Amino acid sequence: MKDSFILAWRALVRGHVLALLLVATALAHAFLPKLIRSDGTAEGWREMFVRAVPGAAYAFIAVTILACACGFFAQERERFRLSLTVVRPVSAFGVACGKWLALCAVAATALAFSGLLTACRLADAPRCLHHYAPRLPSTAVCAREALAAYLADPQTPESVKQAPRSAVLSLLTNKELDRYDVVRPKTAIDWPFDAALAAKGQEVIVRVRFATQFERRAPFEGQLTFGPYSAPVKHSTQSVLDIPLAEGTTNAAPAGAATVDLHFANTSGETVMLRPRRDLEILTPADSFRGNLVRAGLQMFAAIALLAAFGLFLSASVSRPVALFTATVAVLVALMAPSVVAQFPDEMDTKFTERFGLAVSRLICGLTSTVGEASPLSDLATDTCIEWSALVRGLLVNVLALPAAFLAGCAVVVRRKPLANNT
Amino acid sequence: MSVEAGAQAPVIEIRGLRKTFRDFWFRPVAEAVNGIDLTVERGDVFGLLGPNGSGKSTTIKMVLGLLAPTAGSVKLFGLSPRARAARARLGYLPELSYLHPFLTARETVMYYAGLSNLDRKTAKARTAELLEQVGLAENANRPVGGFSKGMARRVAFASALVSHPELLILDEPTSGLDPIGTREVKELIGRLAADGLTILVTSHQLFDMQDVCSRVAILSHGKVVGSGRVADIVAAAADKRHALEDYFVARLGAGQEGAK
Ligand SMILES: Nc1ncnc2c1ncn2[C@@H]1O[C@H](COP(=O)(O)OP(=O)(O)O)[C@@H](O)[C@H]1O
Ligand SMILES: [Mg+2]
Repeated sequence: MKDSFILAWRALVRGHVLALLLVATALAHAFLPKLIRSDGTAEGWREMFVRAVPGAAYAFIAVTILACACGFFAQERERFRLSLTVVRPVSAFGVACGKWLALCAVAATALAFSGLLTACRLADAPRCLHHYAPRLPSTAVCAREALAAYLADPQTPESVKQAPRSAVLSLLTNKELDRYDVVRPKTAIDWPFDAALAAKGQEVIVRVRFATQFERRAPFEGQLTFGPYSAPVKHSTQSVLDIPLAEGTTNAAPAGAATVDLHFANTSGETVMLRPRRDLEILTPADSFRGNLVRAGLQMFAAIALLAAFGLFLSASVSRPVALFTATVAVLVALMAPSVVAQFPDEMDTKFTERFGLAVSRLICGLTSTVGEASPLSDLATDTCIEWSALVRGLLVNVLALPAAFLAGCAVVVRRKPLANNT
Repeated sequence: MSVEAGAQAPVIEIRGLRKTFRDFWFRPVAEAVNGIDLTVERGDVFGLLGPNGSGKSTTIKMVLGLLAPTAGSVKLFGLSPRARAARARLGYLPELSYLHPFLTARETVMYYAGLSNLDRKTAKARTAELLEQVGLAENANRPVGGFSKGMARRVAFASALVSHPELLILDEPTSGLDPIGTREVKELIGRLAADGLTILVTSHQLFDMQDVCSRVAILSHGKVVGSGRVADIVAAAADKRHALEDYFVARLGAGQEGAK
């Protein structure tokens, strides 16, 4: 493994791949910021910068590493060199691991360089924030309850009762996601949040989003109370409203409870409508921008490590052009799969072929979920703290489990596929 | 147990070996090896001789486990060619020595030393010694991408020898070399044989092989058409200098008659 790593590292360094990545990253950091047209605010500029500059470097590194991975085994096979390696007492898995580690090392170096430049440029960026959603029952549970209610209801049409369960459930799940809570004038509502957030002495911010076209920009006035904290609300016209709560009330959080309610009393003369699952969050300060930058870098690294293992597997199996083509198609499919799944929430009247396509999309989504759900750049750009739990899950799946599977596949192919050419 | 067995077993034992190359649709395109039996004993310098396309390289690739036989069996030291213990005991010089162009000669030999599990210190000493032996000491730190064919062959030779193999498999070691290069290779083979290495060497240049081989098998169209000890062949020949060539032509003729 060590020798294979050194060989691949030298191939990448002496083949100027590392230099190419470092130069491209430096160029991106030097020239792309000049092209940014922001809304004039510091936050706006920072957001654009993060998405454009480290984002471009990330994309370039990922594509380059994938392209190198796709050529690695294929080239050695075509040039008969691989057979000189495998007639030695080596394990094919070790050989594959060495190559993968070299690709990862090059990617990590380039990402670290990009991160360093970003950290220098954004030295005065504010802290990032933890985001917490209300602790509501899961959408699946709500959907199942709703289904039970429908089936029990004698007024439900027969066609709904006979529709496939899974289709109705996915419909109800999506409906639950978009469910509105309605707060009539002079009434109040409670949304449960994690009790730990109501611990005394920390900063608590309630974020309300008014992003949907149905949202009225009419008065949103009242009082928010959350354990020992409270604040008055008066909506102006922002689409995102951040309300910092201040300590002041005497109602301490009840000891031992899992959740504490965020209480909203609507004092205006208008009805307020909010989707609790989409429009409402509590924010608390997390660590520094740099900490978040490191975590975002790790998430990007995890994605590239997975791509590298996938490319190596392809290059062990097929020739370089075929590997490149397959990798491109596979990456595009993986990028599109989530929107396919999202656009076909109900399978009510889909044909077999459609259901097959959907099943494939679901499978790809499932396999790539830890990459697909991670959004390191937009989290970094919006000062959203990347949580360690998600990060560690992503690293375990994309840096350990999936690459191990791909590299094992690689080893099997290297051992099984005839290695000799016509010479 | 396998090591014990390996001590008595012939170094290479080939029984009923066949290889049919097939195209994408599994239609046979070439019967490269057509049922051969060979035994290479310890200390032999075994010449696998035959015209181009007679199946020498294909046989060697099956001996190395790079190709799966269509039928028949190959045993290396009594083990399967895919066994790691068997691979640990052999060195291989391919017909065309494709090297990694970005490595220097020293790094190339060190790389193969590492793959054969030599520790760093031993590998270093062994590499220096071998580069000296093949006359590349001065060019040890140049990238092999700029080497001539003869120099590349010598790097490949050093790489094959770096792990102190018991069995050395050489595929056309003299092809494409000038007369001086050819003589150097022959001398090297002689020295290695004197050190007790078992060597399997292929060639289509019979004249060169007469002085280095102890036993030969003549291959034609994937079949063994003649085999024996070189000493016996020379003893029976009228023209001692070209004994092997005459034998080869005679057996080839007989093989073709037989095929008709
Ligand atoms: N990969 C391959 N696919 C198809 N035919 C092959 C392949 N390798 C070798 N052959 C054929 O097998 C025969 C024997 O080839 P080879 O073993 O290389 O001969 P030699 O080394 O004796 O010159 C030749 O006819 C060659 O064309
Ligand atoms: Mg050949």
